[in-house]
Amino acid sequence: MFKLLKEVFRTGNATVRYPFAPLPASPDFRGKPQYDPERCIACAACTIACPSNALTMETDAAAGRRTWEICFGRCVFCGRCEEVCPTGAIALSPEYELAVMRRADLYQSAEFSLTPCRVCGANFAPRKEIDYVLALLVHAGVPQAEAERRRAVVETCPACKRAGDVGRVVNLDRLHQMETIP
Amino acid sequence: MSAQATTGPINAAPPPHSEAEQTARLKQTLLRDIRRSVYVFRIDSGGCNACDIEIFAALTPVFDVERFGIKVVPSPRHADVILCTGAVTRAMRMPALRAYEAAPDPKIVVAYGACGCSGGIFHDLYCVWGGIDKILPVDVYIPGCPPTPAATIYGFALALGLLDQKLKATHHVEADGEQAALAHPRVPQALRVALEREARRMAGYRQGHDIAERFLTLIAQDDAKPIGQRIADFLARESDPRLAEIMRRLEAICAAGAGGAPP
Repeated sequence: MFKLLKEVFRTGNATVRYPFAPLPASPDFRGKPQYDPERCIACAACTIACPSNALTMETDAAAGRRTWEICFGRCVFCGRCEEVCPTGAIALSPEYELAVMRRADLYQSAEFSLTPCRVCGANFAPRKEIDYVLALLVHAGVPQAEAERRRAVVETCPACKRAGDVGRVVNLDRLHQMETIP
Repeated sequence: MSAQATTGPINAAPPPHSEAEQTARLKQTLLRDIRRSVYVFRIDSGGCNACDIEIFAALTPVFDVERFGIKVVPSPRHADVILCTGAVTRAMRMPALRAYEAAPDPKIVVAYGACGCSGGIFHDLYCVWGGIDKILPVDVYIPGCPPTPAATIYGFALALGLLDQKLKATHHVEADGEQAALAHPRVPQALRVALEREARRMAGYRQGHDIAERFLTLIAQDDAKPIGQRIADFLARESDPRLAEIMRRLEAICAAGAGGAPP
């Protein structure tokens, strides 16, 4: 009996104090995907990677809006969105206290504006994505003036590029390149 | 429990089971001041058993939900809380409804795990209903795939009104002139891509990205010390030979790239 009590006191209390004290998650724990809409360019890479369709994106071309949405109730915390995100706008966090009373609280959404095509005028790509592409070009060494000129190409929708106008747009680009070659 | 007459297509989902106003009022009382142990009945409506393993983990001495009087019972006739896991397969719909009917009013229904909350990864399968809330009125949703024992305890504390809900629905609308910042503007684009590619080749997609990020942060920070010294200090702190191997590879790429070093 004494031996047993000694063992009990030696071992101490194994039970964690949670929920009265916070319980830190282990390193690399895959918890709630933390989303930063400021850094998001609405490229939809995460919605394609998401295996359970917890991430969805809807494009309303007529209204010029694209809505990104995550449902934490459907997320399986695989981290593929984090893998594919080009800007690091979404990353898994150690947060696990996600239980809710109302289903609506499981959703987080963000709305982005679309840019109209220079040729046909239809909204086709998010404004932030186009700006990001051009900023990336400048960062990669393309001169600022040249990047601004390329904006005309970037702001043309794929359908218009395909449908004949492509010749004009690309030739403009090529002519310009010929001019710049010494 | 009666078959609801629907005017839609023959295989359309019937409306979820609704509860009477009286029951809803009783449930509020149950939530507010339950002065005894809470008996939980668990329905596995077509889950993969990961959720059930985590529920069991919550009962072990480490998490010990029985210290709050939460006890798993073998019959729905004893239950105060019905804990539903799984995406509700066609075969488990009627047994789940029967178990719900067998439990005395008032009762709390908890949807457990990604599948229980909304069908999870199986949400669009032909043979599932996609979530407990398609057939039963759910009071608390505990997301997770599976939820950890701590998340389980949090969900129960929420169901019994001990803790407050943390997660709130948010909607962001793009502000005028909002720009996504470039990652590591001080590091040349080609070098950043080369480093990330090599780190991902060596350590896998996600871990490789993490290592590349740490390396880029190290080389881009304002520090009087030379880059080689900074990396050596970092590796001495981490003392991980695998990380050291990858970091040295990245350093070699950095040195090889003409003008690769940041200002």
